[in-house]
Amino acid sequence: MVVGAATSLEPEIRRVGKALSEGFPSHRGNPLKVLDDRAMDLAAQDAELRAALFRFVDVVPACRSLDDLAAHLTSFLGEVHAQPPSLRAAMRIGDTKAGRAALGAAGAAGVRRMAHRFIVGEDPQAALPTLRRLWRDGIAASVDLLGEATVTAEEADRYAARCAQALDTLAAAYARMDEQPLLERDASGPLPRANLSVKVSALTPLLRPEAPERGQRDAAPRLRALLRQAKQLDAHLHIDMESLDTREAVLELVLDLLAEAEFADGPSAGVVLQAYLRDSPQTLDTILEWADRTPRALPLVVRLVKGAYWDHEVVEARQHGWSVPVFERKGDCDANFEALTARLLEARPLVRVAIASHNLRSVAHAIARNRLLDGEPRDVEFQVLRGLGDDLGRALAASGLRVRSYCPVGDLVAGMAYLVRRLLENTANESFLADQAHGVPLEQLLAPPETST
Amino acid sequence: MTTLPPFRNEPVLELRRATERSKLAVGLGELRLPLKVPVWIGREQRFGDELVSTDPGRPERIVALAAAASAEEADAAVATAQAAFGRWAATPVHERAAALLRAAAWMRERRASLAALALRECAKPWPEADADVCEAIDFLEFYARGALELQDPDGSQLLQVPGERNELRYVPRGVCAVIAPWNFPLAIPTGMTAAALATGNTVVLKPAEQAPGCGMRIVEALRAGGVPAAAIALLPGGGETGAALARNPAVATIAFTGSGPVGLELLRSAAEVAPGARQLTRVVAEMGGKNCIVVDSDADLDEAIPAIVESAFHYAGQKCSAAARVLAHEALHDALVERLAGAVAGLQVGPADDFGTDVPPLIERDAQQRVQRYAAIAGESGEIVTGEHDVPGEGWYVAPVVAAGLPPDSRVLREEVFGPLLTVESVRDVDEAMDRIDGLPVALTGGLFSRNPRTVQRVIERSPVGNLYINRSTTGAMVGRQPFGGNRLSGTGTKAGGREYLLHFVEPRVVTENTVRHGLVV
Ligand SMILES: Cc1cc2nc3c(=O)[nH]c(=O)nc-3n(C[C@H](O)[C@H](O)[C@H](O)COP(=O)(O)OP(=O)(O)OC[C@H]3O[C@@H](n4cnc5c(N)ncnc54)[C@H](O)[C@@H]3O)c2cc1C
Repeated sequence: MVVGAATSLEPEIRRVGKALSEGFPSHRGNPLKVLDDRAMDLAAQDAELRAALFRFVDVVPACRSLDDLAAHLTSFLGEVHAQPPSLRAAMRIGDTKAGRAALGAAGAAGVRRMAHRFIVGEDPQAALPTLRRLWRDGIAASVDLLGEATVTAEEADRYAARCAQALDTLAAAYARMDEQPLLERDASGPLPRANLSVKVSALTPLLRPEAPERGQRDAAPRLRALLRQAKQLDAHLHIDMESLDTREAVLELVLDLLAEAEFADGPSAGVVLQAYLRDSPQTLDTILEWADRTPRALPLVVRLVKGAYWDHEVVEARQHGWSVPVFERKGDCDANFEALTARLLEARPLVRVAIASHNLRSVAHAIARNRLLDGEPRDVEFQVLRGLGDDLGRALAASGLRVRSYCPVGDLVAGMAYLVRRLLENTANESFLADQAHGVPLEQLLAPPETST
Repeated sequence: MTTLPPFRNEPVLELRRATERSKLAVGLGELRLPLKVPVWIGREQRFGDELVSTDPGRPERIVALAAAASAEEADAAVATAQAAFGRWAATPVHERAAALLRAAAWMRERRASLAALALRECAKPWPEADADVCEAIDFLEFYARGALELQDPDGSQLLQVPGERNELRYVPRGVCAVIAPWNFPLAIPTGMTAAALATGNTVVLKPAEQAPGCGMRIVEALRAGGVPAAAIALLPGGGETGAALARNPAVATIAFTGSGPVGLELLRSAAEVAPGARQLTRVVAEMGGKNCIVVDSDADLDEAIPAIVESAFHYAGQKCSAAARVLAHEALHDALVERLAGAVAGLQVGPADDFGTDVPPLIERDAQQRVQRYAAIAGESGEIVTGEHDVPGEGWYVAPVVAAGLPPDSRVLREEVFGPLLTVESVRDVDEAMDRIDGLPVALTGGLFSRNPRTVQRVIERSPVGNLYINRSTTGAMVGRQPFGGNRLSGTGTKAGGREYLLHFVEPRVVTENTVRHGLVV
């Protein structure tokens, strides 16, 4: 890839995007295509089938036996009107006990196979081979511990303990890895190797939308302990963002804790900005104002995403008669993502910037924008999700950019909610990956977002 | 007027935003207490302080000083309403509807202060108080439209043959006595009253003795909206006032929401035709339940637990729709009990005006003692799985309780506790759970957590309840979306917030006209 100041953004975006796409391994053009389970192909074509498949994936861990699994599977498929012949055959197999056992086993195996594309191991220890391989290939990671929802204080404690253990495991393992200069330093200083993403909703059962201070108060001691440990281990702690119901609680909690004197010189920590929220520019104001008055040895990392709860936000707003807090036109969301990208890149070194997207256009825009601003490649990070953004991640790494793969860790029970969300997100009508899978031409994929104004 | 925009629920405040929360706090600051609540018949007001409503979280704080209507006043109120009936019934339906819509607008302008009043008088926490105001507005808007539809002659479904004109019309019944509860102190009395008024009846409203202040606001709203003073009377008082009102032979309809014993008594007395009576008294009654949630082995506890907690403990379980029993598949019973107990341990018991409160105080001392009594029985014959709880000293607070392992014949599994007490039973399978539910004499709400469509179908077919909720909480019915009301001994099978509700407040009249003269259709 040619490095150098870009004169105009659009041609540069197209050039960068094209170069990146050429870096994709040719035999597997799209991660959705490689899902060896043909079910996904079928599912993408038929909404009822898709619903049946996802409901099955969702319930797999709760089934008590192969028989029970098969009963659920046939029950879901029974609601599909246009059954392809293969499914009708499956339904017939489900008529006998032996058939049900076979069907149940096949269904469970299929789901497990799908899960393994997105989930790197049952626990951090089991994830280490994958993490080492990634690192060797020039890709950093952020580990995310999947778990059941936290509804009790004991569960919050257990999750915090798992996080603490993960930090130890990761710090020890990464300490023994070879140097990867690109991944270890940017203009602001050193970048920790070990990196953990945590969810505040798992650190407290008391997140109440109308009383953010309750969850904050309850989560604060657990998060503070993790920050201390991260500081001591020289690890990075990233706090994921969830639905709007918890945004106020999460953002205030993190910014308040990081402003405590003991954390001024570490650890490295980060928050997430969701570009699908209409008021995300104001949230960025809040973050930047905070950063401006809160000097830190290692700047706050802001991970820019579009947002993973789009359908939830729309449904919740509609059910309550509220104005929808997210953009309803994909192009508006993408354009906002680009505007926020620009603001974040310009705000450096007040913050560190991580662009988390699988959308070639969004990513190419960030790269081109960085060049336009005369930024060094190492001064912006690109983040992808394990199982969905692997090819993009590799292509980015191959072109000398700094990449981090978000690697969920957990057992099948815990992972199912995550798996379903990923599958849903990426078979959604308005997703870059789906467009790509359906063969939308590159030129169109790289075109500027179509906004409503 | 006939081209009203379609009904839509009044949106609750988006309390996840700090700006919205502060609006409510302002409303509370502006509330001037105590309110003085009169017996209010026509333009006559008699003030008094026989009835005192207090803040359940701080009983020394007086919310309203009310007169308690005597039997004579009850009769006077009915007589006035009776006298006003002819004119109100003859008022064109679109004018009646317009008055209700103006009353809705009056409430909309005062949302924060009305919510603050419900919060103080009945200890409704903010989100619930706000929802109560919204539901009151919904009822006004919904029944106004419903009354218009009812009078639409095109809606008549009668067969027409040549030479004959058939028409079905609905006419109001007369004076309606509305006897209201305190647990939805604005919504429920407004709903019953609005249904009666919209269809042309006149109303005597007796609010719950615990909530006369809210009752007065409703009457103010309706009169401000243009309902004639004589067509809506306010009759604060206790049980005797209600009994006197219900006894009056001129009362054509009794709309009641409250406890089973009182409802059954009303039904009994209404069935006796008083000498000289010219009409059968109709009773629309919503009574209690013993609401069960079934959790099958394939349920997602991550979602079931929060929904169960909400169903059983929000507003301290003081909703007729609140969950009282969980029937859990034996495969996940223990895990459910453990997680449920842990979740309940985290609930904050506190004053209603704290946005962080999960479990507010109960309405009054009697209620507190009743719940404590049932908790004691549950503890003796089963196991209380929830631990100690921080509970404020002053006020009618009780800790939320989860009990398990109760014997099948335990009173706690049968009687309505109406408080933050939830029991959990282990069942072999969903069918056993449905058998137990079928054994109950009441059938108000029910819940099911299952991810198998076949199970869902089976439970739908077997469930006797008026409102069945699948994979969600059992509370929070919305006007127009979940018409609400119970079956069996839970009620007369009427559905508040549903299309058919208004039919209980009217008489159908069919007119058939022969249009053939000398063999000619004219
Ligand atoms: C490393 C990493 C970390 C992440 N962490 C978080 C996190 O903490 N919190 C979080 O919420 N998400 C997080 N995400 C998830 C991320 O939000 C989704 O993967 C992302 O939304 C997909 O966006 P995209 O740019 O890859 O794909 P695209 O296909 O370009 O965008 C899809 C997204 O666009 C939005 N969208 C879809 N339809 C519409 C529409 N009609 N109108 C407007 N917008 C629409 C939705 O947000 C949808 O997810 C993370 C992602 C990555 C890669």
